[in-house]
Formats: sequence, structure tokens, C-alpha cells
Amino acid sequence: MSETLYQWFIHPLEQAFFLKALLGGCMVAMVCGVVGCLVVLRHMAFLGDALSHSMVAGVAGGYLFMKLVYGQEAHAPSMLLGSLIAAILTVALVGFISKASRIKDDSAIGIMYCGVFSLGAMTVSVFSQYIHVDLVHFILGDILGVADDDLKVAAIAGAVVLSAIVLFYRHFQISTFDPVMAASLGFPVLLIDYLLTTCVSLVVVSAISMVGVILVVGLLITPAATAYLLTDRLKRMMLLAAFFGMTSVIGGLYLCVWLNSAGGSAVMVFCTLQFLVVLTFAPRYGLLAGWLRRSRMVPQDLIEDILRAILKAGQALEPGKLAEFVRAPLGKFPRAVERMVADGLLEHHGAMLALTPAGREHARRVMRAHRIWETYLQSVGTPQEELDRKAHKLEHILDEQAIDYLDDKLGHPLQDPHGKEIPQDFVELESGQPVMLSVLREGQRAEIVSVSQEARDLGLQPGDAIRMGTRKNEGRFWVVEREGREDLELEHKAADAVMVRPASESETAPAVSENPGDRKTSPA
Amino acid sequence: MPTETASARVSSYALANVTPAIETEHLTVSYGPVPALLDVTVKIEPGTLVGVIGPNGAGKSTFIKALLGFVNRDLGMVKILGEPAEAAKGKVAYVPQRGAVDWDFPITVEEVVLMGRYGRIPWWRDPGPEDLQCVSEALELVRMSDFRARQIGQLSGGQQQRVFMARALAQGGEVLLLDEPFAGVDAATERAILDVMRNARKEGRTLVVVHHDLTTAAEFFDRLMLIKQRLYAYGSPERVLREDLLSEVYEGKLRVFADLKRRGGNGSTAT
Repeated sequence: MSETLYQWFIHPLEQAFFLKALLGGCMVAMVCGVVGCLVVLRHMAFLGDALSHSMVAGVAGGYLFMKLVYGQEAHAPSMLLGSLIAAILTVALVGFISKASRIKDDSAIGIMYCGVFSLGAMTVSVFSQYIHVDLVHFILGDILGVADDDLKVAAIAGAVVLSAIVLFYRHFQISTFDPVMAASLGFPVLLIDYLLTTCVSLVVVSAISMVGVILVVGLLITPAATAYLLTDRLKRMMLLAAFFGMTSVIGGLYLCVWLNSAGGSAVMVFCTLQFLVVLTFAPRYGLLAGWLRRSRMVPQDLIEDILRAILKAGQALEPGKLAEFVRAPLGKFPRAVERMVADGLLEHHGAMLALTPAGREHARRVMRAHRIWETYLQSVGTPQEELDRKAHKLEHILDEQAIDYLDDKLGHPLQDPHGKEIPQDFVELESGQPVMLSVLREGQRAEIVSVSQEARDLGLQPGDAIRMGTRKNEGRFWVVEREGREDLELEHKAADAVMVRPASESETAPAVSENPGDRKTSPA
Repeated sequence: MPTETASARVSSYALANVTPAIETEHLTVSYGPVPALLDVTVKIEPGTLVGVIGPNGAGKSTFIKALLGFVNRDLGMVKILGEPAEAAKGKVAYVPQRGAVDWDFPITVEEVVLMGRYGRIPWWRDPGPEDLQCVSEALELVRMSDFRARQIGQLSGGQQQRVFMARALAQGGEVLLLDEPFAGVDAATERAILDVMRNARKEGRTLVVVHHDLTTAAEFFDRLMLIKQRLYAYGSPERVLREDLLSEVYEGKLRVFADLKRRGGNGSTAT
């Protein structure tokens, strides 16, 4: 047993190439992770891709320059410098194109990175007798063949970049989160952008020889994105991203020696798997957590269906009977009832479920919305058999303003298409504010607050006490009764224009609104 | 002629011995052939709560941005507390329109408010205890202390607005510029924001607030600026909310007046 463990885990560590790969990879991945956080938060992932590709041109340029001018072969510092110049040039060109023309950022990046990359590739092939650069080495990288020079470059680049981020953490944070604010405080936002681009270029350059042009973006983005799923703090996100970068390298390298695969790809496979695991299981932003949250949630629709079912029945109901009425999704019904009892909408009367005053009020709102929607649907020519189904969907739009609008448009109907009474707009009636005469129902008493000219001409005065009679002419004439005087008949518009204050002893008064959000002003 | 009136105004301020908090002269800004702002000359005295009103596209936001020095002026002068706008950076706190930032950003309420202090902290130093103290006080003022450790995306729209108010307060600027802070907030937040603004004014700060709701403008502000490219009026709400002025600026969009009248009517019956 311990023999196998030794073979698997310790033996690779005794080999220099593995140790070097581990050391270099971890250094690079750590820095990539930290910088990657800013790249992810700035939605610059594609730019990382562009940078890494354009560097091939820089490497070729640097190589060629040193070879032709100084006769030096494969001079590492100048290749590095060349890459940096190429990267920054690419970014500047992208910015220029997207500012100066109608081409947007994403297209500009696509154009420039392919262009610069192929320029580099072409140069390498044209000058193949001078440049002894293995393009494949750049494209795929060779983490198992890390040279001491590569380690030095990675260490220096990493140190420079990390110090920049630590020193200018606040600069990077504020110019990423709120560049406008940063500018208003006098931060040099553009300069900070270029500093970040330089940092990204540096880490990318140092990582290319290990994981290659194609995969370096993965090392930049994936650990940072993994960390993003786990925390709401930028500092923690950076630490976690560094950690995930290193675990990717360690896990990937072991994968590579066990399966005898290519090193760079093994690192990225491990990195991606790690991301997928976190994506699935992350406590707050993971898929599983989201799914659990949704499944625990009781849909508002179901709550409203239950309320309306009890109101419609006109009495407390057994849970079993209630469940039949509402056709809840499997397992949702008991949870919905539990929630509604906790929220004070329902109460247990022995084995029965009954509405509380708050529940009753909400139920009336839903009922009113449902019946007004049905009336509206009929008025716009919806087939009879679809009325209920469509109104059932629409009743969840029960915003007071919207329902009042429909009510007014329909001429304040008293009954829905099935001949059932539409509940009154009690929210308005209970507020004590003046309301339109047209919303009163038969038998209600009120005092006139203000009148239109038309009503005044008919003899209606502010201060008059009135009682509503039965509406005439299919509900299109409002009949106003007054003590010892003859009845008045008003049309819809005229009835809307008369404001009244309902008498408080109104028999139809329902439960008082307990929800301050229901406060509303009456339309003039 | 214009120079005469300008000098007359200057002398009246010289008598009062008050440097205007904000001063613009002939401020003109354009995007292409149409001016966004044309010849705006205004003096705002310190400790005033000013509402900037006008129809969509009237240049209200541009005015704020010009005060911040974010837009290139074609002509004219902007002075903040007697200094050119460019030199006054940091003395002016800005509350952008909501939606200007990424709400999924990994940052807490407290960290957002701390950003208000960034202009005062040298880059080599960490925020000190007085900065943190200032952050707590600002959060207290907007009644968001209980949410200090929350990620900002987990707040309601009104709470987010209050956090950005707190950031502006923590900045300690003598001039606060707010771009539509009341857009789409609930009644409670409206109250809270208004309280904060009035408190800030009491401390002698000057607030310039872009506002789109004429029905509340008179209630909220000491002074109103009516803008449509040019400055139509600056003064007390009674002087600015005149039907002839408004109908000229809003070009007979009569709903506005109906709303205003209704508000006025209801108000008088209530008192």
C-alpha cells in the first residue's frame, strides 16, 4: 500500500524535471490567478487571449532583432521585451479601432490578435534560416521542459506583478468597480488600465513557455472564475484564485506523469475540472445551491391560488380538499401552507385552514384581479373557454394601478363574464381618502367632496349626503339617491368626475389594510 | 450688456462676501452640431440644495459632468469653491446614476463607502482608523449600518442608492453632485435620501441634484435650475415652476401640469 503511494506521489518529486515544472508552474499560476481576478471582473478575458497570441510576433521580432543586429541567438530578455511591446501595441490598436470607428471592442480584438499572431507566424517561417524558434513550443508550451531561464523570468515577472498589485490594490479596485468615481477623485484611470495591461502581458509572457499561447488564457481566467463563485471579497478572491492556480498545476502535473500525457493540457484539464466541481457545489453561487433555493421557494402563484380557493369556498377548508382545488406541483403544497401560516396569511382552525384578515385581504385582491382580467379578456375578444385559464395567469399582475386602469377602461363592471361579483376596490375605500363616485356599489353611503361642472348643473353640491342606487342600463348609468330629492343619473365620465368620501359605517367594509405598501392616491 | 449684468452680480456677491460654491459662466458643451449646454451662467451659493430639472435630453447630466470636469467645454468657465473645476477634484463628491456599476462585483457595503476616502489616502498607506470612523458615520447617517458586511448586489435598489450616498458623504466633499438619486426608489428610501441631503445642507454643503419629477421638486429643493440646453430659470421653486416657463421648456406636455395641479390641490386640502 505505502509502496504504491510512494510510487504515485513521492517518486515523481525525486525527479528534477518534475520539481522544476512544479516550482515554475506554481509561481506562474499563482500570479496568473491574482491578475486574472481583475481580468475576469473587467470582462477582459478575450483580451488575455489577444495578448498571448500577439506575443508570438513579439518573440519573433525580438529574436530577429538581436540576431540580425547583435548576432546573438535566442536572446531571452529581448524576446521578452519584444512580447511586451507586441502585447501593448495590440491593446493600443484595439482601443484605437474601437474608438475611431464603428467596429466594436470584441471584433477589434478578434481582428488584431489574428492579424498580429499570423504576422509573427509568417515572420518565423520566412526567416526560418535565422530564427530557430519552435512555433509548436510556443503554441502548446512545454511545462515538463522548463529551463532555469524560464524559472528566473517567471520569478522576476511574478514579483514585479505581485508588488504592483499589492501597492496599487486600491487603484485597481476602484478603477475596475467604478471608473467614473475613480476619475472624479483624480485617479489616472487610463494609466491604471495600461499598468494592468502591462501586468497581464508580463504574466502571460512568463507563462507561455510552460503552458503555451492557447492555454495561458485558461490559467488566467479559470482559477479566478472559480474563486469568484466562492467569495464576495476581492482580496479573498485573489487569494483563492492563487490557490486554485497552484492546485491546478500540482494536480495537472501528477495527472500528466500518471497518464503520461502532455503537461500543459493536463494542467488545464485539472483546472477546468476543479472549476466544474466548484460551479456545481459552491455554497451560494453554485448550481446545486441555486437549484435547492428554487426548490425551497414557494411560488407566489401557488400562494395566491390557495388564497383564492379558500375565499371562493367561503369557508375554512380541509388541507386535502384545498390541495385538490389548487393542483400544486408535487410536494409544494404542504410547504406553501407552512409558509403562509408563518407569514400570517392562513391559520389553523382545528383540522381546517382559514384565512386571517391579512390573508383575506390579499385573497380579495387576487379575486378582484382575476375577475377584472376575465372581463377585460372577454372585451378584447378572447374565446369563452380560454377566459379562466388566461385570467389565471394574468391575475398575478395585481398591481393596483394596473387593475384600476382596467377597471376604469371597462366602465367599473360589477360582474365578471360568468356573472360573479367583482370585489370592490376596498384598498381605496379604506384609506379614508376621497374616491371617485363611480367605484361605489349599491347601498353605499358617502359625502360629496368635489363635483364637476356637469354634476353641479344637475344639482349636486359638495357636502351632500348620498346613497348609491342600482345601476341602470346594463351598469352604464350610476344612480345617486339623495334624501328627499329626486335621484340623479350619471354616465361613467360624470361619475368619475365626482369625488366622494365613503361613510365609515359602510357594511361592505372589509378588513383594514395592514400593508403600508397599499397606500395609494386616488386618480383625479 | 452681458458684461454689465455680470459685473453687477459679482459686486452683489462681493458685498455679501461669499464665494459661490459653484459658479459657471457662459458654459457651453456640445456633442456634434447640437449644443448639450449653451451659455449657462449660474452662481450657486454655499449651503443650498439645488434641483436641476428639465425634459429628457435637456443636458441635466451633462451639466453635472461639466461641473466634474468630465466633458470638454467648448466655451465658458466652471469654478468650484472659487477654484477651476480641474483643481477642485476630490472636493466634489459624485453619486452616479444607478446601474453605472457591476452589482456582482465582489465588494461589500463598507468597502464601497471606504472608496469615498481613497482620494485622501496616499497610495503607500492603508486606510487609517479615522477613515474607518468616517465610513461608520456615513453608514449611520443613511441608516445602512446593519448591512455593512453585505455584498452590494444583495441589497434592494433603494439600499444601493443609500450606500452610494454614504460614499459621497464619506468623501467629505463640500459639493455633492447627484444624478437622479430618486429614480425608481421606494417611499422609505426617498425619505432617507432626502433626510441625508438636508443634513448635508445643514452642515453647509452644497448639493446639486438632477431630478425628473416636477411634482416633488418644490417640496425637495431650495432652488431649482430649469435647463433645456440653456438655463431658463434659476431661483426659488415658486419662481421657476411657472406655467409659462414650463410650457415653453416642456413644449406643452400637459400631463406635467395636470400632475402638478393635482399635487398642489391635494396639498391644500390636506392642510
